[in-house]
Amino acid sequence: MLEYAWLIPVIPFVAFLVISMLPKRTLWWEDGGGYATIGAVGALVLSILVIWDVLNGNTLVGDAIPKFEWIVVGDVSVTFGLWVDELTAVMLLVISVVSTLVVIYSGGYMHEEGGRRRRYYAEIMLFISVMYGLVLASNYLEMFIFWELVGLCSYLLIGFWYEKPTAASAAKRAFIVTRVGDIMFMAGIIILLKYTGTLEFSELFDSAATQAAFAGNENMLTLATALIFGGAIGKSAQFPLHEWLPDAMEGPTTVSALIHAATMVKAGVYLVARTYPLLVLTPDSLLFVGIIGGVTALLAATVALAANDIKRVLAYSTISQLGYMILALGAGGFLLIAAHPSDAGYSAAMFHLMNHGFFKALLFLCAGSVIHAIGTNDMRAMGGLRKKMPITSVTMLIGALAIAGIPPLSGFWSKDEVLAAVYNAGSFDWMFFVLWAMGVATAFMTAFYMFRMWFMTFGGEPRSEVHAHESPKLMSVPLMILAGLAVVSGFALFIGEGFKTFIGRSLGGLVAAEEESLSELAVEIFTDPLTYLTLGLVVVGIFVAYRVYYLPGFDRSVFAKGVPGTFQRALLNRWYISKFYDDFAYKVWYGFSLLADAFDRHVIDGLVNGFAFLGANTGRVIRKAQTGDVRRYTSLVVLGIVLLALFLVYILPWLRAMPPWFPGWF
Amino acid sequence: MIDIQYWLIFSSLLFAVGAYGVLTRKNAIVVLMSIEVMLNAANINLVAFSSYYSVLHEGTDSSGQAIAIISIAIAAAEVAVGLAIILSVYRRYQTIDVDKLNILRW
Repeated sequence: MLEYAWLIPVIPFVAFLVISMLPKRTLWWEDGGGYATIGAVGALVLSILVIWDVLNGNTLVGDAIPKFEWIVVGDVSVTFGLWVDELTAVMLLVISVVSTLVVIYSGGYMHEEGGRRRRYYAEIMLFISVMYGLVLASNYLEMFIFWELVGLCSYLLIGFWYEKPTAASAAKRAFIVTRVGDIMFMAGIIILLKYTGTLEFSELFDSAATQAAFAGNENMLTLATALIFGGAIGKSAQFPLHEWLPDAMEGPTTVSALIHAATMVKAGVYLVARTYPLLVLTPDSLLFVGIIGGVTALLAATVALAANDIKRVLAYSTISQLGYMILALGAGGFLLIAAHPSDAGYSAAMFHLMNHGFFKALLFLCAGSVIHAIGTNDMRAMGGLRKKMPITSVTMLIGALAIAGIPPLSGFWSKDEVLAAVYNAGSFDWMFFVLWAMGVATAFMTAFYMFRMWFMTFGGEPRSEVHAHESPKLMSVPLMILAGLAVVSGFALFIGEGFKTFIGRSLGGLVAAEEESLSELAVEIFTDPLTYLTLGLVVVGIFVAYRVYYLPGFDRSVFAKGVPGTFQRALLNRWYISKFYDDFAYKVWYGFSLLADAFDRHVIDGLVNGFAFLGANTGRVIRKAQTGDVRRYTSLVVLGIVLLALFLVYILPWLRAMPPWFPGWF
Repeated sequence: MIDIQYWLIFSSLLFAVGAYGVLTRKNAIVVLMSIEVMLNAANINLVAFSSYYSVLHEGTDSSGQAIAIISIAIAAAEVAVGLAIILSVYRRYQTIDVDKLNILRW
């Protein structure tokens, strides 16, 4: 089946063409929703066949991959090819399952949008297509092209309700902020191309050859990997480029679930994982990766504590969990360089990526179901929905338990693996102990804000007059399927050969043979005191949320006074980071632009106009010499001849007799 | 054999007379005649130096004389052109006073 993997992006692309090009009356269901569903399901079926092949040990890697030459310049050739390994398979699984369920769910969620659904489905299908293309790419330039295309689709879909000024500006912000990261990614690619002369994964991942190409310029390799990680900072919304993701919640909730939780924002994590063979050559970059991940995880979790918009809570939660993955990848690199190379951090990150893809899509779709029912994002206007929306409330509870990390749901296994990997990396760089502590604090806060959200939404008494009702089957069935996946996907750790061994194969020779059996792994997880430390904090977090936001009799106004009030205001203002960017743009950068404008108008233009003025006026003055009087001309000619003769006879010999220090141009 | 400097003094005087005519006369035909005088001063110089060169190197080299002949021939052609121009100027402006023919200016 692997050789047909190229069809996976092609099927949704055909659906995109059909929906956007065919006459309106041929779009038989939901203005294109039917074709979209067919396209998504087709890609899902093919993806599962391909994943099955990969599970059986077949991969498309190395020089033998199917590819064609696209651009050939001198010795450099850029190809378009297919690269299918275990890492790709995990991404394919998340993209195919979530995209199919989101497209089906859209049939209910976007029902009231009328004719605009056609644009929605077309853009969604384009996104799914290029997202598949991104994970199947076999070189950095191919990946970069799809990388930009998913950014475009993200922009289009965030701005779906473009008549709303906030949505329009959020779309622009997402586009521009991620572009900062994209430029860094491109710069990294250019450095790699300059030194190695190739962008093919198969050639770059040959550690010896790459190191030889960078011999004497090791700093440039570090710069290249750090810049490639810069692309991940933008796309995966890591600090300091994370502010676009909460704003991206202006788009439809389905878009948030698919693009800004489950797939596109994972592209950055995927990029870092894909670049692993290069990253392990540059420990400095790895430390940078880990620190950015840890800081992001903690920072975003704190902001989620105080947010009142249900989608923004989830957005900050997404940023925080992405920080976990990045942190695990940073720590994993150190474990991989260690004396006994282990894939612990790498596999933990990808495991968390998969689990997070399912439970965060679930949480977003549940939030969409609630928003669909009562028509607002503000959790302060929700409450008491448990009875009215039983399916949504139960599935969302499962999602919240999964992300908080309660066993045996999926989040518990992957979060434990992530924290264990970071803790183990601490023995190679003490920084990872600090980052581990930040990760544990994040786990506590995650449990708290998730249950704060759940209790505010579903618990207590209704706080608004809206008549809520359970969502249609088209929306609740995908919720139930995702809830099922959120429960069971964690067991992938123990099924068959185990997730760690499976994903570890994609690192090739970098990993030592794994001696640990699956039962030993389970024993290790449950005998490690750190597991119980995290678990205890999570339970405390849930209990605090239960006490504060569910049980009556707690005066929440204490949060708004004194020192907690200062914190609350800082959190509600997102640590003023957003404000900082706005001030920077409006004051510093706008001032600089005014300066540049003035320079252009007065100095550059002034210079050009001045030369023109000079030429015109000089001509006006000296043309008076042309009197037309022949005798005056001849007089001047004779005078010139006389002067020339005098010069030759008297002055030139005198000049020639000057001492040697006189310039000798005679 | 006349010494070269006498020829040079003669040709210089001839050139000065021509130049004086060009500078002082208004009539275009007289100006043209003065130019011919200056040209002949140059031709005398050519022939004089040719003779001087032959004496100096004890041989005969007549290239200076040949150039003088060519110069005279070209001067004849030039006079024809100059007179034709003066004629057509006269037809157009009814004058050949060079002070009045000053339309070629700013």
